[in-house]
Amino acid sequence: MAANFTDQAAIVGIGSTEFSKDSGRSELALAAEAVKHALDDAGLTPADVDGFVTYTIDQNEEVDVARALGCNDIRMFSRVPYGGGAATGTLLQAVMAVATGVAETVVCYRALNGRSGQRYSSGVSGNLITGSAIHYGYYMPFGLLTPASWVAMFTRRYMHLTGCTQDAFFEVAHSTREYAVKNPAAFFYQRPFTRAEYDAGKKISDPLRLFDCCQESDGGSAIVVTSSARAKDLRQPGVAVRGVAQCLAKDQEEMTSFYRPEIARIPEMDLAAAEAYAQCGLAAKDIDAAVIYDAFTPIVLWQLESWGFCKFGEAAQFVQAGNLRPNGRLPSNTHGGQLSEAYIHGMNGIVEAVRLVRGTSVNQPKKRIEHALVTSGVGVPTGGAILGRM
Amino acid sequence: MTPEETTAFEAKIRAYVGREMGPPKRGFDDVNAAMIRHWTEVTGDANPVYTDAQFAAASGKKGLIAPPTMLAIWAMEGYPMALPQTGKVDVQRELHNLLEAHGYTGVLGTNTITEFYRDLRPGDQVTAHTVIDNISERKKTARGHGYFIETVTKFTDQKGEPIGRQVFRTLRFAPSAELAAAKGEAAKGADAPLEVPTRIPSPRGHDNAWWWEAIDQGRLLIQRCKGCGTLRHPPRPMCGSCQSLEWDSVESSLEGEVFSYTELSYPKFPGYPDPLLCGLIQLREGTRLVANIVGCEPQRVHVGMKVKGKVERVDDKTMLPNFYPA
Amino acid sequence: MKRTTRSFTSVAVGEKLPALKIDVTAGLIVGGALASRDFTPVHHEKAAAQAAGLPDIFMNILTSNGLMARFVTDWTGPEATIRRIDVKLGAPNLPGMVMTITGEVAARDEAAGTVDISVSGDNNVWGNHMAGMVRVALPREA
Repeated sequence: MAANFTDQAAIVGIGSTEFSKDSGRSELALAAEAVKHALDDAGLTPADVDGFVTYTIDQNEEVDVARALGCNDIRMFSRVPYGGGAATGTLLQAVMAVATGVAETVVCYRALNGRSGQRYSSGVSGNLITGSAIHYGYYMPFGLLTPASWVAMFTRRYMHLTGCTQDAFFEVAHSTREYAVKNPAAFFYQRPFTRAEYDAGKKISDPLRLFDCCQESDGGSAIVVTSSARAKDLRQPGVAVRGVAQCLAKDQEEMTSFYRPEIARIPEMDLAAAEAYAQCGLAAKDIDAAVIYDAFTPIVLWQLESWGFCKFGEAAQFVQAGNLRPNGRLPSNTHGGQLSEAYIHGMNGIVEAVRLVRGTSVNQPKKRIEHALVTSGVGVPTGGAILGRM
Repeated sequence: MTPEETTAFEAKIRAYVGREMGPPKRGFDDVNAAMIRHWTEVTGDANPVYTDAQFAAASGKKGLIAPPTMLAIWAMEGYPMALPQTGKVDVQRELHNLLEAHGYTGVLGTNTITEFYRDLRPGDQVTAHTVIDNISERKKTARGHGYFIETVTKFTDQKGEPIGRQVFRTLRFAPSAELAAAKGEAAKGADAPLEVPTRIPSPRGHDNAWWWEAIDQGRLLIQRCKGCGTLRHPPRPMCGSCQSLEWDSVESSLEGEVFSYTELSYPKFPGYPDPLLCGLIQLREGTRLVANIVGCEPQRVHVGMKVKGKVERVDDKTMLPNFYPA
Repeated sequence: MKRTTRSFTSVAVGEKLPALKIDVTAGLIVGGALASRDFTPVHHEKAAAQAAGLPDIFMNILTSNGLMARFVTDWTGPEATIRRIDVKLGAPNLPGMVMTITGEVAARDEAAGTVDISVSGDNNVWGNHMAGMVRVALPREA
């Protein structure tokens, strides 16, 4: 039986800092500013916050964020593991807290100096100090060290089974780029690119080239979650959380689930999708737009299959038919995604999904957006959320 | 520095943008065969159009030319560069001194872009005209915060005609704390021989040390549940099928096929082979493992390719299974 | 060094150049500095290099450029003309290291008759020493 918190909580505030390659300030400054923007957007103050959720990889301690902002007493705090896989997981924690009354106003945040500080593209090394060192030990001596290389292993298999080609990856990259060209907050604002430039991007880990990989960015994003009842009195139209689910599926590893009978798909996302749809009784046909986690171009394809927009092996066709574009079936990553706006581990994606439902995206599709999907990073335990108009 | 001090300092350094480094510098020696030979000896460049007059004359070059990468060499200052500075310093040195005095003590050439408009031949005269073209915003780099200084040098010949252009970007940085620590280390171990890097090893703990120890001895083992006989890799303490904690192992035949693969091109890691091919190998026994595919051009690798493994020494410290085309 | 030159028409994008291994010795570093009249102390005097934070003298940029150009013209043959070298410098080359230079044809400009060759020089201790693009004009026909 699916969880029964549909529409009990709503996102009432969104905020981000500027996105850059060198913020020139601390991650704490970014976190505090992003949260402040989200509270301002909601018409709330730090004194209203009584819950915090972030990622286990976020370096900003709850105590520091609360003190920087001047919050009062915080009753609920929680963190979600697995990098970008945590994005909508933070929302799930917030919704559960609000629905159960553990907290009334929960802020989810993610802030990082992901380019000027620790860069995720550099991969793992001998300096790991956690249990995951034993896990990565089966890959490090062979040089399978970087996120791109782990994703490439799944990608090659997917291409082999489905006949998908680089053309589909280019369409994912190009559609996000075209959106970013019109988004002043995006790294690639006013910087369109061509197939020739894409093809000239350096090889990263075959078949992935430079522009198949997301940005590395400095910045922060935050959302404010409260009860739907309270949302009605606040400054912005609330965006209801229809469904939100996360999943760690059988035989999952952290980025290297290479040992399942087939690896060209993401069963954890299949299950999260089924759960989220079951919570609210919606189906793929009801989703009008999406923000699909795009750390790398091919992972967008697999998620389209998980969420039922097309069948296994048909995602390449689906995107190449222009369905992610402004007038397509599923306008997606309208902020430019992490490929072309900024890499804030998916939190900027939740912010954009809220804008889509509010009708305030810089690339707002012409059609009415009743429901928008937003997903978390894949390869790791993951999840997704369905947002809708109140 | 406080924000106000930074603003004042940046105004001072920015005043250098657009200034010429000094008067145009005419090379002491015209393009000549002796310096060309000295250069090609060191670089190991056996191109006959640089040194073989007969060949060069009969070639499309119609005579000897200088290696294009000597362009900047003709107008170098030479030995005085080795001596302590005395008297008046040039504009570029003045700028660097200013940065140095404000804590930006590190200096590093980061990139050059050189364009060559024509071949130079013995007898040509080279004059360099250098301008400080740009100073970046303050940037965070791996070495610390700093400024990129870009100079542009235009090279002209005896007729005043342009013969080439070089952009030279230098980073002037305040060494970060980590770098300063590393520098201390470097100074301590200054006379120790350079350590050639090896593969990054796996840490070894209760659940995996036995597997790596077998690899060290040249054997690839597969963990087997003593309760139900299920094979599993990577090793873990409990059987997911029957929850038994008891296990032993079987030795792999090292026969298998490629289930998936990738060639890693960027970034490159010291201590790893190039090209670097990682395969997900489906072993005949039924389990899979990640290992390198070797002895095979990257273009030839494909899903389903039959491979045969060998546990072998890959560097001074590391034994690993490698898989070759069967 | 071969004495014939590759024609523009014979070169395809994706073609790889044969790798070149360079033993980085103190002789090469000092020799390269002197032959390029670069007497900056860090390239010939260990104490100066150590004061700059490195354990030993290191190769100057002109020598790196020279080796990169040589690597390309070894492959093209003598009648090619280098038009442009764009190099990004990475980890220094110190005595005792071995640098492997690799390259690949990255682009062809039909109108100009030039090819761009991406070149990477990686040493066995610290990794990438230089990465760049060399533009070279080739004769149209062999």
